[in-house]
Amino acid sequence: MSEPNDMTCAELADVAAELALGVLTGRERAMAVVHLDKCDACREAVRQLMTTGEQLLELLPAAEPPAGFETRVLDRLGLPGQSRPDAHSRPASPRGNGGGPRRPGGDRVRPGAGQPGAPPGRSDGARQAGRLRRALAAVAVGVAVVAAGLGGWRIGIAASPSASPAAAPLTSVTLQSATHQEVGSIFLYSGTPRWLYMSVDLASGQELVRCQVVGTDGKATTIGAFRLDDGYGAWGSPAPSNVGTLVGARLVDTNGTVLATASFHDW
Amino acid sequence: MGTVGTSGERLPDEALLAGLGAGDAELAVAFVRRFQRIVFGVALAVTSDPGTAEDVAQQAFEQAWRHASVYDSRRGSVRAWMTTITHNLAIDLIRARSALPMDPDQLPVLLAAMTDSPERMAVANDSAEGLRQALAGLPLQQARAVAMSGIYGMTARQVADAEGIPLGTAKTRIRDGMQKLRAAFHPEEAGDE
Repeated sequence: MSEPNDMTCAELADVAAELALGVLTGRERAMAVVHLDKCDACREAVRQLMTTGEQLLELLPAAEPPAGFETRVLDRLGLPGQSRPDAHSRPASPRGNGGGPRRPGGDRVRPGAGQPGAPPGRSDGARQAGRLRRALAAVAVGVAVVAAGLGGWRIGIAASPSASPAAAPLTSVTLQSATHQEVGSIFLYSGTPRWLYMSVDLASGQELVRCQVVGTDGKATTIGAFRLDDGYGAWGSPAPSNVGTLVGARLVDTNGTVLATASFHDW
Repeated sequence: MGTVGTSGERLPDEALLAGLGAGDAELAVAFVRRFQRIVFGVALAVTSDPGTAEDVAQQAFEQAWRHASVYDSRRGSVRAWMTTITHNLAIDLIRARSALPMDPDQLPVLLAAMTDSPERMAVANDSAEGLRQALAGLPLQQARAVAMSGIYGMTARQVADAEGIPLGTAKTRIRDGMQKLRAAFHPEEAGDE
């Protein structure tokens, strides 16, 4: 598989572990990468060593972080730090929201949003839309792969110009009221099994609501129900396998009145 | 209808990650609670300093938040993704400080912890248990070389200097140790070399 001046498979085998662990440097690394680009067998061997190295990290002992760690992480992300003991309890008012009505996502600011270069003065909706666009298209955590096709997380995080939706099974979309107000979010994990999770904040109400998904034929299928607590509720479930391709979801009350909708076409 | 519940604690890792990425406070809290001990453990093992480890761990959660949408389950579990993100951040940090990351006195302690009983490990699944046993079965010199490179990100030259051995010997220890671990972790491919 090698040209006369290239690294041979035997030579690659000697440095494969170092390459997989990310500690091979200089000319050896460059030659190894060139070889992997042409040799499927060696690429597979390195891939296995990479996954072995990743698994090695999972043997490291867990450790309790310092007190307040969770709060500091959530502060860093600009998310409310108070947790809810269960889905029916009301979330704490987001910091900096001035005590006004809560809107899911309304106070969520990416780190650096206030720094030079950040889009100024965008509305919550625009921020949410921008977040989705960024999530789906603009930024990618890729493997800065030593050669194409290795897979695995080992090699690290690097900016990548694009990410295909096929490689991003986690998606989210805004849940809108009949007056087009943002009242929640729906998250869909499109792996196996598919999962759907929604959180909604309608400002008031204690009623039982049903979650429905809408197929390509326009037919709505009820997949679950949950009770709002002062307008707030959250619910998650495996998406039924017999529904097929989903084009949307909606929340309806017990009378069948549609309270909020989400279109998956936006994904 | 298989409603699993509304509490984030009962949702799968991937769903929590989706919620974190979308900025859902409830799922973000559940995500941090689920992974914080693992993430902090990796950061502390590499940096050996609680303050530095916390900074690394916070950065790891921020990376997960920023890049949740492009997590690909085909490449590995959320747990593996988080440990690798954390490890890469920790290695980058200690390399930037140009300091030898490993305290020679701490290496036996770390190896003992990694080969200790599963209940003390960050994760205790079948594959991890197989790898733990393989690591415990390595000759000590190979295990040390693997830990130096695999955990602390040390090059073969750094391993050689730390152990007072020739470069070729260090490279051989890393290679042989990792190949044995690979055979344990990928038993179906053992002997393919």
